[in-house]
Amino acid sequence: MRGVREIIALIRNGMRENRLLFFLLAGFALFPIYTGVADLPFWEDVAMRIMLLGMAAMGLNLVLGYGGMVSFGHAAFLGVGAYCVGISQSFGLMNGWAHLLISIGVCGTLGLMIGYLALRTSGIYFIMITLAFAQMLFFLFVSLEVFGGDDGMSIDRAEFLPLDLYEPLRLYFLIWVMLVLVSVLLMLLVRSRFGVTLRAIRNNASRIQAMGIEPLDFRITGYVISAVICGVAGTFFASWQEYVSPDIMHWSRSGELMIIIVLGGLGTLAGPLLGAVVFLLLEEFLPELLYLIAPDYAENWMIIFGPLLIAVVLFGRGGLIGMLEYLSPRSRGGGAS
Amino acid sequence: MGAMTLTLFLEQLFNGLQAGVTLFLIAAGLTLILGIMDFVFLAHGSQVMVGAYAGAAITSWTGNFYLGLVLAIPVTFASGYLIEYLLVRHLYRRDHMEQVLATFGLILFFNELVRIGFGPAALFSDLPPSLSHFVEILPNTPYPLYRLVVIGVGLACALGIHLFVSGTKTGAMVRAGANNPEMTAAMGVNISLLFRLIFAAGAAFAGLAGALLGPLTSVESGMGEPLLILSLVVIIIGGIGSVRGAFIAAILIGIVDTLGRIFLPMLLRQILHGSAADGAGPALASMLVYILMAVVLIFRPQGLFPPRG
Repeated sequence: MRGVREIIALIRNGMRENRLLFFLLAGFALFPIYTGVADLPFWEDVAMRIMLLGMAAMGLNLVLGYGGMVSFGHAAFLGVGAYCVGISQSFGLMNGWAHLLISIGVCGTLGLMIGYLALRTSGIYFIMITLAFAQMLFFLFVSLEVFGGDDGMSIDRAEFLPLDLYEPLRLYFLIWVMLVLVSVLLMLLVRSRFGVTLRAIRNNASRIQAMGIEPLDFRITGYVISAVICGVAGTFFASWQEYVSPDIMHWSRSGELMIIIVLGGLGTLAGPLLGAVVFLLLEEFLPELLYLIAPDYAENWMIIFGPLLIAVVLFGRGGLIGMLEYLSPRSRGGGAS
Repeated sequence: MGAMTLTLFLEQLFNGLQAGVTLFLIAAGLTLILGIMDFVFLAHGSQVMVGAYAGAAITSWTGNFYLGLVLAIPVTFASGYLIEYLLVRHLYRRDHMEQVLATFGLILFFNELVRIGFGPAALFSDLPPSLSHFVEILPNTPYPLYRLVVIGVGLACALGIHLFVSGTKTGAMVRAGANNPEMTAAMGVNISLLFRLIFAAGAAFAGLAGALLGPLTSVESGMGEPLLILSLVVIIIGGIGSVRGAFIAAILIGIVDTLGRIFLPMLLRQILHGSAADGAGPALASMLVYILMAVVLIFRPQGLFPPRG
């Protein structure tokens, strides 16, 4: 019982310190009321996409933000998670809970293998080797004709008994619950001894090593956990999309996940989720905005999005969270903490 | 059967060589950008695309293929110079992830720019009659002349780069910069100008590669990225900052990739039987270069031919 009470106390503390995260999660919980009343199933769909990519970005953030490891291949885990569903279904296994367990197992093992090999390198080499492994998996699925090859495979929504995901909102809230679980897990993890050590290693690995702690163990553990979280996101991505193809693990998706994190706020809990909201809303609204100004070029919204991204990197240090903190009166008064 | 396989082998060997020298043209500048400037520049593939579009567009305006090929060089030189001046020099001191993201934004921008300028459909440019016939490299083994020309141009460029880097004063500065940028700057070399010129020259070689590839592939938005990733593989295998390493690795990757795709499935079919080989062959072949890169990184993290210290 004490353990449970301690965890609840930790979560309560966490809520106090991560108001934005809980505000966002509450927002996602209430959003279907709006889409239901206004009859906007499309936006419900967008919200699910945001939650899924946000979840994957939160997973990557453990490595990228807290661990300081620039992995340029995390979309691979998203894709492998999705293919776990597709391949299981092609063998007649429709149970979603089983898919989830398989994804966790496969992505965990894969994360361990890739992490063990890739983390022998650092800097540019680490970026490139993670990209190389992701490309390997991408081309593996492109050339596996049995599972649809380039074209991918259509699948059904998995059977998450007792839920029927074809009923309205079941998938939405299943994804939401997963997002909450991932958030709480990361919150506890970041506050734990493990999380503190991971950040300490990011700041000064040799000092930590001198204290008798092996940085590699912590890095690999972080890498595996983040791979599993991306895999879980991928599992639900498959059910959401009702379709799996190598496209989901294209290298540009790994870049997208990094953008989402940096846009929201690197190494913060709420950052990736906030970043996903803003990133995907930009994706929806930039074409419409452009249509008002230059109707002929509405499709070419990337021409604005690219430079916008560059501007975020050049000027927006700390991401949106950093900006919010700067603007909030609490931190300006200097009395924060 | 044996003679046919030999013909096929020779043909694919030349195709691999052609792919290799093209990769070298792209990787030569990029390895210096990564090595000397410690800058992760993902938009180098966009320079290839800019070169390909410049070549194809100028060819169709003037009707002269050679003019398109030659003018693609100054166009991409200018684009490289401008990119360095406007954006890249502000990012040298930033960390790798920020460089990745900013240059990723640059890729999106360039891809959309050519889509606006030239439409979403791919451009196809025809070879002039003087280049579009076959020559016999062996009796009864015809081979397209143009691919031989690409190999020749690529090898000439490689020789030129080698002579420049190893024989001139500016080349010595480049080598010194690759070895120790701070020390080189301290010795009085105008390192920021050197960086900009390397950047522009690297872009020009990538642009030439793009213009050469124009008639062999479809010129379209996004064509640079697969080439960018392959040239990153080349650079890692060759050793970051090593032009010599980039050359050897580029030829290696070009040949391994081309031959692997043809002969690995054939080989597997002889060992395995039936559907297993049909599935595994292409899968393994398309992963081959990345497996090679991972193996090199694990056993020789600094690459096969790191710049000599």
